[in-house]
Amino acid sequence: MREITNIHTRQILRDRVVQLLVYAAVLLISMVFIWILADLVRGGIAHLSWEFLMESPRDAGRTGGIASILVSTLLILLTALLTAVPVAWTTAILLVEFVPADSPFGKTVRFSLHVLAGVPSIVFGLFGNAFFCIYLGLGFSILSGGLTLACMLLPILTSTAEAGLRAVPHAYRTSASALGLTRTAALVHLILPAAAPVLAAGLLLGIGRALAETAALLFTSGYVERMPDSLLDSGRALALHIFDLSMNVPGGDMPAYASALVLVGLLLCINTLAMKFAYGLQHRKIMT
Amino acid sequence: MQRRQPGMAISGLLRNEQTLMSLTNNRLVAKTGMPKIFRFLLANLFFLVIGIGCFSQAQAQTKAASQRLVLTGSSTLAPLAGEIARRFESLHPGVRIDVQTGGSSRGIHDVRKGIAAIGLVSRALKPDEADLQAFTIAQDGVSIIVHAGNPVITLSREQIADIYTGRITRWNVAGGTDARITVVNKAEGRSTLELFLDYLQLKNSEIKPHVIIGDNAQGIKTVIGNPHAIGYVSIGAAEYEARRGAPVRLLSLGGVEASVENVRQGIFPLSRPLNLVTSGEPQGLARQFIEFARSAQVHDLIRTQYFVPVNAD
Repeated sequence: MREITNIHTRQILRDRVVQLLVYAAVLLISMVFIWILADLVRGGIAHLSWEFLMESPRDAGRTGGIASILVSTLLILLTALLTAVPVAWTTAILLVEFVPADSPFGKTVRFSLHVLAGVPSIVFGLFGNAFFCIYLGLGFSILSGGLTLACMLLPILTSTAEAGLRAVPHAYRTSASALGLTRTAALVHLILPAAAPVLAAGLLLGIGRALAETAALLFTSGYVERMPDSLLDSGRALALHIFDLSMNVPGGDMPAYASALVLVGLLLCINTLAMKFAYGLQHRKIMT
Repeated sequence: MQRRQPGMAISGLLRNEQTLMSLTNNRLVAKTGMPKIFRFLLANLFFLVIGIGCFSQAQAQTKAASQRLVLTGSSTLAPLAGEIARRFESLHPGVRIDVQTGGSSRGIHDVRKGIAAIGLVSRALKPDEADLQAFTIAQDGVSIIVHAGNPVITLSREQIADIYTGRITRWNVAGGTDARITVVNKAEGRSTLELFLDYLQLKNSEIKPHVIIGDNAQGIKTVIGNPHAIGYVSIGAAEYEARRGAPVRLLSLGGVEASVENVRQGIFPLSRPLNLVTSGEPQGLARQFIEFARSAQVHDLIRTQYFVPVNAD
C-alpha cells in the first residue's frame, strides 16, 4: 500500500514539474513580446504624435511623419492579399475537397508549396524585380511589390488553409451530403465557416510576414517616400523605412522607433479585427 | 472548466487537452456573437480602402501626362538625392523623381540597362566604366572608427592593412589594451569598401573580416556595441554621431584629422566624390536635374546630410 502511495506522490511531483516547465515556456514567450513592446514604447512614444501619422517624411525621414509610407504600406498589403488570398484558398479547397490526399497531383502541388515556403525573401525580391519590374514593365511600383509579396504569401496561406479544412470533421461532409446539400453549398455554409478561425490565423501569419518584409520590397516597390498617386507609383513600405532610418540615416533612431511602434500597433489592430471577424462568421453560420 | 482539485494534475491537463481538441473541432466554442461596433468598423475600413483606391486612380489619370525620372544606386547618396528630388519637384510641378537604392554597383548596372536615367555612384568611375558620364555633386570622406573607450588615437596605413588582413589580431600590438580586434568590413559592391581597398592597396579576398555590414549607420552601431571593433564609415555620419555623444572615435589618417573640414580642403587622404552617372550625354529632364543638383541651390541640403558641397565651375 505504501509502495502505491509512493508511486502516486512521485507521479504527482513529475506532473507538477512538467506543468511548471510548460508555464515557464509560456512566460518566456510572453516576456519576449512584452520586452520588445516595452523597448519600442520607451524609445518611440515621445516621438509619436498625430502630426507624425499625418505628415510626409522630410529630411530623409529625420523629421516629418510617415503618412505617405503608411498609405504605401497598406496599398502594398492590400494588393498582395487581394491577389494571394483567392488563389491560395481556392488551391487549398481543391487539395482538400476535390483531390484525394495521396494522389500524385496533390503531392506535387504540396511539395512545390513547401519548397516555395522555404525560399528566402531576397530571392523573391530578385525574382519580382526581374519578372514584374523589368519583364512585365511595371517598374518600381506598389503593384510590383504587392505581386511579389503575393508570391511569398501563397505557400503560407495555402498550407494553413489546407490544414484548417482538413481539421473539419469528416462527419460534417457526410452529414451535409445526407441532407442533400451540394458540395458547393456544404463548402460555403458549413466547411468554410467551420474552418474560418484557422483561415484567419493563416491570414494573420501572412499579413505579419507581408508587413515585416524588407528585402523583397527594396527591389520591387522601391524607396520613394512620396505619397503614392496610383498603384504604378513607387512607394516605400514601413519596414523598409524603419530599416533605412536605423541603418542608413544618421540620427534616424527616434523616428525609427516611433515607426516601429506604429507597425506593431497596426499589426495588433489587424490581428484583433480579423480574429473577431472569423469567430463572428463561425458563430453566425454554425452555432445558431 | 471545473475547479481543479489538489492531486488532480493529470486529469486537469487532460481536460485542458480535450478542451483544446474540441476547440479545433468547433463544438465547444464559447458563444459570443460579433459586436455590432466591429462590423461597423470593418465596413468603414473596407469603404475607406476602396475610397483611397478610387481617389488615387483619379489622381493618377489627371497626372498621366507628368514627366518621370528614375534614379538608382548608392545608399549613401540616396537620402541626399531624395531631398534634392523633393526640392526639384516643388520647383517643377508635374515632374516626378523616383529615387531607388541598392548600392553603387546597382546604379551603374541600372543605368547601363536603361532601367534608370541617372545612377547614384559614391566613388570615382573606374577605367572600365568609361562608357558612362559622371557629374560630381558632393564630396565625402571615409574615416576609420573605433570605440571611444579604445586608447588608440592613430594608426598607420601599414597597421590598418595588417589589422584587416589578419596579421595583427590583438590591440596591444597597435598600442591598445590586450584584447582581440573585431574587424568590421563592408559588403561587396559598397563603394566605401572599394575606396578603402584602393587606399590600402588590398584585394577584398585578402581581408579577414569578423563582421560584414551594409550601410554607414549600421557600421557605427556595430562599433558602438563592441569596444574592440574597428570599422570604416562615411566621415559625415561618424562626425554627427560622435558630436551627439555616441562612443565612437574617428582615427586620424597619415597625420590628418578625420573631419568634414579636412575633406573640404582636400587634404584628407580617404575621400571620394559622390556622383550622378548617366549613359552618354544627359538630355532633357535628366540634364535639368543634374544641373540643379550641382547648383548652389542645394548646398544647404548637402550640408544637412553631412557631405561637402563642391563647386560645379
